Amino acid sequence: MTDRLKYYLLNLYFYPLFLFFSAFVIPVLTIVITILGILVLPERQTWRRFRRAINWYGKIVMAIPFPFIRVQYEHSEKNDQDGPFIIVCNHRSAADAFLMGVLPYELVQIVNVWPFRLPVLGQYAKFAGYLNIRMMQYDQFITKASRLLEEGVSIVFFPEGTRSTDQTMRNFHSAAFRLAYAAKASIVPLCISGSDIIMPKGSALLRSGMVKIRQLPPIAWNDYKDLTVFAFKNRVWKIMDRELAMMENRA
Amino acid sequence: MFTLSEECMTEQEIIEKTNKVFEESFEIEKDKLVPTAHIFTDLGLDSLDIVDLVVALQNSFGVKIRNEERVRDIRTLQDIYQFIFTIKKEEIDKKS
Repeated sequence: MTDRLKYYLLNLYFYPLFLFFSAFVIPVLTIVITILGILVLPERQTWRRFRRAINWYGKIVMAIPFPFIRVQYEHSEKNDQDGPFIIVCNHRSAADAFLMGVLPYELVQIVNVWPFRLPVLGQYAKFAGYLNIRMMQYDQFITKASRLLEEGVSIVFFPEGTRSTDQTMRNFHSAAFRLAYAAKASIVPLCISGSDIIMPKGSALLRSGMVKIRQLPPIAWNDYKDLTVFAFKNRVWKIMDRELAMMENRA
Repeated sequence: MFTLSEECMTEQEIIEKTNKVFEESFEIEKDKLVPTAHIFTDLGLDSLDIVDLVVALQNSFGVKIRNEERVRDIRTLQDIYQFIFTIKKEEIDKKS
């Protein structure tokens, strides 16, 4: 099959299924969670189910384009801690947010302004407690995010702040790391390779390819407490840069 | 370029002390610390890191800059050297 034919076929088959699946799943999810919340489950458990359901939604959306797009998730045994974690990821594609569905944790994402403006999905993100650091005071953000960690919710950051346009990671913003210090939480670096191939920045169309997601061992409070925030964020940047180079045979 | 009178810091001392702050508090390699280095794009600081930078500079130079509006205009290392120089000079002028 030629690459161009594969490209058209993939998008013709993915988008109707994606829209149909979303149009079906999102209302059903809303109804089920609302009923459970009102009638059966305590509030905390309702939230947990809701966020897990969003994970499943992401997982299924990324499974729809199989076998054109394959997602491989790897993590070391050291990751068998329960969490919650502050998860820091490199960011090259709009697909990265959906890829977080592979993670086995209840989580919220720290997102930019534009995802909140997406119809339906943006409302869900807000409802699920996703946070936008640019839309609130820094202290308010730390308080809210710390509370989520206390409740056992992991928090996903894309510390580059925006999608990178090539394989070079941008400098990290420090909010994730400042939160780690404030909450004494473990940081988990998460390296995503290939998402820029399947959905490059500036394109809404998918291309076939393989996405590799590698979860690195957690860095606990005791391992970083003596570093400055800036030094810590740069060390994590270097760890991820090295890992990505290995994943992409650039090392 | 700038100079202060003999009783206070020389330009070179200000540069060395400022660079030391970046090396020790921020673990930035010496070779990156050139006057034209942009503190956000080249050195990787963000707006939250500026608060830490201000505290580190205050401690290092023994000056009060926390509420200085001029901090907002700083973009390069050269701007910081110049800023510290100005603050120090103002201190001396006040004393005299």
